[in-house]
Amino acid sequence: MKIRMAFLSVLFIAAGSTVQGQNPPPPIRFEEIGAAAGARTLHQTHKFRGKHADVLGMFTSGGASVAVGDYDGDGDDDLFVTDSDAGRPNRLLRNDFVPGGKLAFTDVAKEAGVAGGNDERSIVADAVWFDADNDGRRDLLVARFGTPLLYRNLGNGKFEDVSAKSGLNRFGNTIAAIAFDYDNDGRLDILLGNYFPPVNLVDLPTPHVLPNDLDNAVNGGGASLWRNVTEPGSKDLRFVEVTAKAGLAQHTGWTLDAGHGDLDNDGWQDVYLAGDYGTDRLFFNNRDGTFRDATKEALGRLDTKKGMNSEMGDFDRDGWLDVYVTNITDEYMKECNMLWHNNGDGTFTDLSKETGTCNTLWGWAAKFGDFDNDGWEDLFAVDGLRSAGKENYIPVLLETIITPGIDFTDVNNWPAIGNMTWSGYQKKKLFRNLGTLAFKEVAAEAGVDNDKDGRGIGVADLDGDGRLDLYQTNANQEALLYRNVSEGAGHWIELKLVGTKSNRDAIGARATVKLGGETLIREVNGGNGYAGQSTARLHFGLGKATRVDSVEIRWPSGRVEKVSVPIDRVTTVREGEGAAK
Amino acid sequence: MRGFFAILLLAMGIALPGAAAENKDAAALSQLEAAVAANPDELKSANEYRKAVIRTGEYDRSIAFFEKLTADHPQAAYAWLNFGYAYVDKIPAAGSITQVILANKALTNFGKSIDLKKTWIALFTRGNSYLYWPVIFGRAPLGVADLEQAVEISRQEPKPRKVYVRAWIALGDGYWKTGQAEKAKATWREALKLFPGDPQLQARLARDGEDLEKYIYEQLDPNKRVDTDLSPLWEGE
Repeated sequence: MKIRMAFLSVLFIAAGSTVQGQNPPPPIRFEEIGAAAGARTLHQTHKFRGKHADVLGMFTSGGASVAVGDYDGDGDDDLFVTDSDAGRPNRLLRNDFVPGGKLAFTDVAKEAGVAGGNDERSIVADAVWFDADNDGRRDLLVARFGTPLLYRNLGNGKFEDVSAKSGLNRFGNTIAAIAFDYDNDGRLDILLGNYFPPVNLVDLPTPHVLPNDLDNAVNGGGASLWRNVTEPGSKDLRFVEVTAKAGLAQHTGWTLDAGHGDLDNDGWQDVYLAGDYGTDRLFFNNRDGTFRDATKEALGRLDTKKGMNSEMGDFDRDGWLDVYVTNITDEYMKECNMLWHNNGDGTFTDLSKETGTCNTLWGWAAKFGDFDNDGWEDLFAVDGLRSAGKENYIPVLLETIITPGIDFTDVNNWPAIGNMTWSGYQKKKLFRNLGTLAFKEVAAEAGVDNDKDGRGIGVADLDGDGRLDLYQTNANQEALLYRNVSEGAGHWIELKLVGTKSNRDAIGARATVKLGGETLIREVNGGNGYAGQSTARLHFGLGKATRVDSVEIRWPSGRVEKVSVPIDRVTTVREGEGAAK
Repeated sequence: MRGFFAILLLAMGIALPGAAAENKDAAALSQLEAAVAANPDELKSANEYRKAVIRTGEYDRSIAFFEKLTADHPQAAYAWLNFGYAYVDKIPAAGSITQVILANKALTNFGKSIDLKKTWIALFTRGNSYLYWPVIFGRAPLGVADLEQAVEISRQEPKPRKVYVRAWIALGDGYWKTGQAEKAKATWREALKLFPGDPQLQARLARDGEDLEKYIYEQLDPNKRVDTDLSPLWEGE
């Protein structure tokens, strides 16, 4: 470890020396257009009843999520936005953008048949688009505190609820869902991250449902893995649970997010689980349908932090995916986030302090994206737990925490929060990647430093202008749509990958772009980052370059092919056929 | 496989290096515990014991040991003080919320020590501990009160011992943390006359504003190990 740190120190010094004398880059700028575009949806958390209502509401303040995906195949990304209170509908915001016009969305959730899910016993928490049957139409999984809902896309703007026959029938308090092909069989599987243990919170069988330790809890819901066994060509979507078989059953933490990516460059998808109240878990894929828990050897220790987000991207362009995890860094708790730099040897080094990405207050989602098209992945992070009255909940909570012998698991032992604020009114953070193993926080300058209680982020170029836009969901508040209006952003390419032998969504496919001696990689992911799925298209900023030297796609099937790609446009690449248009 | 070799080696009378080290540590801790138990109301042997605990990471063993010691000797003021240090020693190895719980338990035990015997070391220790708490919890004024008493005790000695500078530094930090910046500077300046050349005093007096704030918070970072080695107390004896 000492040798590795010394090496990184040298890199920092070397990288720092390259910025001398360069002109400052043009600013990143966004404008918030949610209301004008018809995308300012209001989220409401579930309102519990009875004497535990206040405390349970506090512990289940998630559920405001966004899934970005082109459900109608018209070429632009649409938004599925969740709500969480009983009876409140989810929204399917169809993107009606016409080139030359303004961004506009229409909520078609009811007509499409995907508005439901928040009933008296279930709470919607997350969602993910994925083509479960490889028919070219993206299906939709809605994760709940309850059983998940699976909607098959019928291709006529409508969906069929196929949950009952899908096999996805085990109750869980699921807060995160990702879709990826863990066994590379060409079908997308589902991994669910579960927060509470599997008890129904709206009808508590016992008051002992809260974490058994606030730094090392092991009584959470863990994660469950569901293998897609849908027959090729069949309309009957089928999944079987393989959690234990795959080696994930021993994890019983309070999972808040799940992320996947090929962390060891072997062509197989690995998994990073972010755990609240304790240890995150890193699982390497054994390439035989199982995973091995490599947390201790890969990360060097078992952390005690409040992991909220699992996002992957190659921030330093060394050809290895890194991992960004948010935690809590506030006036009363100084955990610091983790930017796990992938050392390329199965180990990771946390560089959050060194890179300036340590502090995002009470963190939630954080997403990589090259918002200025300079070829370097920036980071947008949302934060804030509960913005309410002037009184602060923390001193009240302290008295509970320091009570000798207190049973933290008991709902009855937690003080009511009433109208108090808890880590509220926090400014969002936009970290601009300076390309020198350092980031600069520019949220205010960019116009995204709102103080809402952020939860999820969806990143996509929603208006086709070559600049990545942002959709931010907020708990108990309206969502925000930020259109990227950065002037002087660089050239770009965007790849829409279509699997043929591989899964149709090409989730897990990696594109490698060579550009003036530099190597840029991106992978298609199926919902990385807390409460938010970003576009499935791979976006590469190119800076001032007017051509790329090469583009190589490595498909989940193992096929590797080179394609030629024009700049400043979206290019569809079908597996085995090269660039189509 | 490793287990098989371990059994083989043990059968041959050869212990694995790791096991040998663990056995040696355990034996050393037992010996030190015996020494502390023989003199429960004393600091030196307990100081050696806690240093060994920090080296081995056996924090829970140490806490359990002092818990029993204070139960057996409830009137031993220094046993309670050592019990508090045992919690402080574990803080850097704990998660952020457990740190709060440990710190609070330490304060309780420091308080029991002060109730039995108002010593400079106990008042300094509890007062300084209060300063590590975030401002939001309102504990800094309690720290100032303890540290003012500790400084007062040190003033009564004809020749100031070198270690007393710590209370002066902490008292200034306490004033600063309670919004009394000028009083903080005055305290550090007065202390510098008594302890000329002290680098920590000089470092504080050389800073202002955000620079000073950053410096003080760096000193009061609960994630860093607090120096609980008491040997400066008997330096020069």
